[in-house]
Amino acid sequence: MVQAVLKATSSLDSQRHARMEVLKEKVEEEEAAEREEAAERAERGEKTKRPMEVRRGETTMTQEMLRDLERKLSEIEVSVPEKILTFTKDTIDTSKLPLSYQSNTLKEEHLLQVADNFSRQYSHLCPDRVPLFLHPLNECEVPKFVSTTIRPTLMPYPELYNWDTCAQFISDFLSMVPLPDPLKPPLYLYSSTTVLKYQKGNCFDFSTLLCSMLIGAGYDAYCVNGYGSRDLCYMDLTREVCPLTMKPKETVKEEEKAPPKKYAIKPPRDLTSRFEQEQEMKRQEAIKAEEENRRKQEEARLLEQENAKTDPLHGLRVHSWVLVLSGKREVPESFFIDPFTARSYSTQDDHFLGIESLWNHKNYWVNMQDCWNCCKELVFDLGDPVRWEYLLLGTDKPFLSLTEEEDEGMNDDDDVENLGKEDEDKSFDMPPSWVEQIEISPEAFETRCPNGKKVIQYKRAKLEKWAPYLNNNGLVCRLTTYEDLECTKTLEVKEWYQNREDMLELKHINKITGLNVDYFKPGHPQALRMHSYKSMQPEMDRVMEFYETARVDGLIKREETPKTMTEYYHGRPDFLSYRHVNFGPRMKKLALNSAESNPRPMVKITERFFRNPAKPADEDVAERVFLIAEERIQLRYHCRSDHITANKREFLRRMEVDSKGNKIIMTPDMCISFEVEPMEHTKKLLYQYEAMMKLKNEEKLSRHQAWESELEVLEILKLREEEEEAHTLTISIYDTKRNEKSKEYREAMERVLHEEHLRQVEAQLDYLAPFLAQLPPGEKLTRWQAVRLKEECLNDFKQRLIDKANLIQARFEKETQELQKKQQWYQENQVTLTPEDEDLYLSYCSQAMFRIRILEQRLSRHKELAPLKYLALEEKLYKDPRLVELLKVFV
Amino acid sequence: MNRLYDMEPRVMDDEMLKLAVGEQGPREEAGQLAKQEGILFKDVLSLQLDFQNILRIDNLWQFESLQKLQLDNNIIEKIEGLENLTHLVWLDLSFNNIEAIEGLDTLVNLEDLSLFNNRISKIDSLDALVKLQVLSLGNNHIGNLMNVIYLRRFKALRTLSLSGNPVAEDEDYKMFICAYLPDLVYLDFRRLDDHMKELAEMKHQYSIDELKHRENLVQARLEDEQARREELEEHKAAFVEQLNGTFLFDSMYTEDVEGSKLSHLPGVGELLEFTYKDKFVIICLNIFEYGLKQQEKRKAELDNFMECVQEAIQENQEQGKLKIAKFEEKHLLSLNAIREESELSNIEAKIVQYSEDITELFNVLMTLEMQLMEQLEETINMFERNIIDLVGLFVENVQSLYPFLEDPLGRHSCLARPWLNSGCTMAQCRDLENHHHEKLLEIAINILEKIVKGEMDEDLPDDVRSLFVDKDTIVNAVGASHDIHLLKIDNREDELVTRVNSWCTHLLDKIHKDEIMRNRKRVKEINQYIDHVQSELDSLECGDLLD
Repeated sequence: MVQAVLKATSSLDSQRHARMEVLKEKVEEEEAAEREEAAERAERGEKTKRPMEVRRGETTMTQEMLRDLERKLSEIEVSVPEKILTFTKDTIDTSKLPLSYQSNTLKEEHLLQVADNFSRQYSHLCPDRVPLFLHPLNECEVPKFVSTTIRPTLMPYPELYNWDTCAQFISDFLSMVPLPDPLKPPLYLYSSTTVLKYQKGNCFDFSTLLCSMLIGAGYDAYCVNGYGSRDLCYMDLTREVCPLTMKPKETVKEEEKAPPKKYAIKPPRDLTSRFEQEQEMKRQEAIKAEEENRRKQEEARLLEQENAKTDPLHGLRVHSWVLVLSGKREVPESFFIDPFTARSYSTQDDHFLGIESLWNHKNYWVNMQDCWNCCKELVFDLGDPVRWEYLLLGTDKPFLSLTEEEDEGMNDDDDVENLGKEDEDKSFDMPPSWVEQIEISPEAFETRCPNGKKVIQYKRAKLEKWAPYLNNNGLVCRLTTYEDLECTKTLEVKEWYQNREDMLELKHINKITGLNVDYFKPGHPQALRMHSYKSMQPEMDRVMEFYETARVDGLIKREETPKTMTEYYHGRPDFLSYRHVNFGPRMKKLALNSAESNPRPMVKITERFFRNPAKPADEDVAERVFLIAEERIQLRYHCRSDHITANKREFLRRMEVDSKGNKIIMTPDMCISFEVEPMEHTKKLLYQYEAMMKLKNEEKLSRHQAWESELEVLEILKLREEEEEAHTLTISIYDTKRNEKSKEYREAMERVLHEEHLRQVEAQLDYLAPFLAQLPPGEKLTRWQAVRLKEECLNDFKQRLIDKANLIQARFEKETQELQKKQQWYQENQVTLTPEDEDLYLSYCSQAMFRIRILEQRLSRHKELAPLKYLALEEKLYKDPRLVELLKVFV
Repeated sequence: MNRLYDMEPRVMDDEMLKLAVGEQGPREEAGQLAKQEGILFKDVLSLQLDFQNILRIDNLWQFESLQKLQLDNNIIEKIEGLENLTHLVWLDLSFNNIEAIEGLDTLVNLEDLSLFNNRISKIDSLDALVKLQVLSLGNNHIGNLMNVIYLRRFKALRTLSLSGNPVAEDEDYKMFICAYLPDLVYLDFRRLDDHMKELAEMKHQYSIDELKHRENLVQARLEDEQARREELEEHKAAFVEQLNGTFLFDSMYTEDVEGSKLSHLPGVGELLEFTYKDKFVIICLNIFEYGLKQQEKRKAELDNFMECVQEAIQENQEQGKLKIAKFEEKHLLSLNAIREESELSNIEAKIVQYSEDITELFNVLMTLEMQLMEQLEETINMFERNIIDLVGLFVENVQSLYPFLEDPLGRHSCLARPWLNSGCTMAQCRDLENHHHEKLLEIAINILEKIVKGEMDEDLPDDVRSLFVDKDTIVNAVGASHDIHLLKIDNREDELVTRVNSWCTHLLDKIHKDEIMRNRKRVKEINQYIDHVQSELDSLECGDLLD
């Protein structure tokens, strides 16, 4: 079998040989170019080194220079290299790994041979290229082919079904370890199970795991071995803008201008000078252009500054990532996923500098295309053998696009080859993966990051993530943005929370203005939606927004400044939409009352109303102003649909006394009104009087409501403070692990079940067992035996009942005796007893009497029940399935 | 019932009403004010006139806005004089001597009517009271239980009292009422429970079903009629009513004695029935459809115009409002400033500035209005031109003054063409009539010849045969018939044209008038506002000078 396969592969090899020859020339040219480039690069590297040496040579020891140097050196900030994470074999416990990890099957051995063969041919044909990354060692020092390390698995979590969330999970779940040698692929490639267990890995581990999961979820995904930029290899996002800080682009909706209607009126003639307008426009444009220019220059300067550091190893750093080809799972276009950051990149991205090879769980392809222009011109048509050299035949080619096929149709050789391929023996395909099933426990899935915490540094931003319930205040994410690149001046902090009982969702702290904004999810006890404030002190600048549907009074928003309070309402039955209260300075009262009961005096209340469709417009108040200090009330009514002016009315509330000392109730000058269409009845004093009385009442109400609002603010502030202090977290009733109550309940249920079980076992106790044991086992009972058995059983029971009665009797007698003794003793020593002893004696007596009474009761009860019990046992014995046959006849 | 007869009946005069109004008016401070000013009868909302020994209801016509009227415990014998109290919601006429329900036809808002303890023997004349909820008819002389069915029409009726009537002694009384008035909740001030209702329904199911069926039929007929009326209305608006059938054709022959006689001639009947009538009706139908289409067009045009005008006015109003709002803001500030200013010269300067502001506002508002007026005028003129064109086109098409029909050959070509595809004009009707006339004449002359020759085998009725005395008679008869037909067609055409034209002129008149009204109103409004502001300033000035 193996022989045959070997033969097959060797014939394949010969073909490949021929093809490679054709290619070789081209490859060689490219390689030459590459070599030149490398040489150049090396030269450049040297150049950069030289100035240092020169400087060193020049330095002579003078005191001043030394000081100077010292100063200079002190200026240089030596960045202490972080403790580099390592993940070596030593830390892994290999003893408990299954057999497939520790040895190779026959098929795998053969595969390794094939791979070796392939590798040899490859190095022969393309001697300038680096050796292929084919079969690194696994954690048990066993060489394993890379494709078999991929274990396609569909995870049970719906979140891991799509590539973006899946990649995000892996990037969160594993912590990154850089490659031991950044210029070479690693020697070891561990199984995904080990990687998941230790939650760390290098880029190859990352991409293998991601690839396994993506293929499991149905994607056409491949692991790629190639070259990436420095940032990519070290997961360095400090030059990337944090995706969370990017503002969503506002889609400016082009307002569709309705075509001018037939009878649309013509606009009035424009009498301004067009020339002047044009001049003005030109001037504006010039200014704008200048600004634009300046801005661009500034940007360019900044960009230059940022990109100043170039990487000497650019293009040589080995990296591994995942390629997802279009076609499956409705992926419209092929793209790369960087497993470290979980970001998707187009295949043309600058970060990806070249591809050596790629593989999935079925096959291995070597890139035969030139990567001089990064990956920009690569064609991911894996069915094209000129561009992609495959290792195994027989596994289905991903695809061969139609145009390519036609192209190849021109070429006779290829055609023959294709035919040959199809005829080829397909017996050899990739052996199944040696890796155990990938499993992630729900706890680990929820914790996500190693130890539940992860920090990512972006350009001018730092992102920290925590697992839910890790922080006891519910903090799950914090984004800190900085003003400068060195991340020293904090601009603002955004904190996301989860599972908070007060429904706090996001806290936004602006460090510059000192403004705090809290956002809440629906469900806060006070229906709070947003709260922005600078200090928690009352009567300061603050804005509170509410979920108005959750509130009875329909309050949407309440804004406060030290002197005013404005409230916005919606959907109220009285159509109130707005209330603005101006406060005056607080009166100085004698300090008898506390501050709360000394509210600030209101100077002015302005209320606005929506249109009440049930009333005619000129009787529907649009705005009323209570000038409390001036004792005036101003009313403005709604405007009728065909009018441009609205009714107005002003009441002077001044109480006056006429010359005779009588109270003047109402005079015409107490109400100044303007009416668009004067009506008769409104001129009447009676009407005005009634209106004024009503308004007086309403003023009182408004004042009361404003006062209540103030109280509410205080209450909310108090509540917020309490909540901040307590920051309790809610636990879903479905969360069986964290929900203490349900846990207790469940445990109780289990205990009850257990007890029930025990009781059942007890109930099944066989009362005949001790007697049956005396008889020889396995034999059928004879009638005589059965009768004897019954007799014995009954006698035994009778004996027990008697024993029990005797026992109770004995105890009873003992108690009585003791009591008598005690009584005797008491009578003897009655005179000399201290009151304490007497008390002791009395309490003993009562207890003893109680015991005696109980024993007495038990005895009588036993006497009552004993015959019944005896009869019950007899009955039971008659009905016992083992005895019933034998005893029935007897009876 | 004669308890009050021993007293002198009183007349409801002004004095009595004034007294009652005064007594029942507002109290305390408001009462003082009311006394000071006097209360107008038309402002009174409720009036109580019980135990006044009133015999005749009178002098109530001034109480236009009255909502509640109590006339209980009087000796009223007839319900009258309540015609003007259309806002009345509650009317109490209990404990009187009323014998028949009447005089309530204008009280459409009435919800609560009490006629307790009277002498009424029949429930009647309540049709206008569509909102009636409570009806109290206890202690009367109602004797026929079937009379209750009359109350089925009051959908809002929830409370009814009939105790103390002869009907209430009927053993089936409660069941019957329950069954026939299923929406009733309280009978004789007691709640009707569901169980009772169910029982009653079961008991009277058959008769009620029948009643319902009848009611449904009537309802359906009414609806049907309504729909037909609406359709006709719609057709009338398109000026082509009754052209969608044989109506015009039939009307041509109803007054035409000769024609109907001639139709008995052999061959004429078929000609009439199959060729002429069919073609005629098809043309009528075409006209009808064309008319509807034109109507749609006109409506769309009108709607478009109205919408645009509304938009323009709205926009203009918004601008005006904005200007006024801005002014008012400033106005408040400057008024305060003037009030607080102490220096006389400054005050004057400010007042001058303020009055300048007012003038400017006036100018701005007036300019806006003038501008709008000009714009609207232009638009209206454009609409006028278009609508006149549309109407003209419609009339022209209906009359069909197309040249090719005036063409002498046109007739032949028309005749040669199948009628179905032809146009839809009155001229075609006329052509058809002419053609028919020719044929008829031909037939008639043929028959005359036959009769003269004595070859006529068929029997003709005597009155028809009498026409065939000589050629002149028959030609005259046929001609007369033709003339009548033509007259009918002409009349219909004239009617259509005059009506469409008058509609057009009315519409345009109305639009112009509305626009003028709008303009006047706006100018008045602006003037009023400016006057008000000015007067405010003046009063301030006065006040300042006095200070």
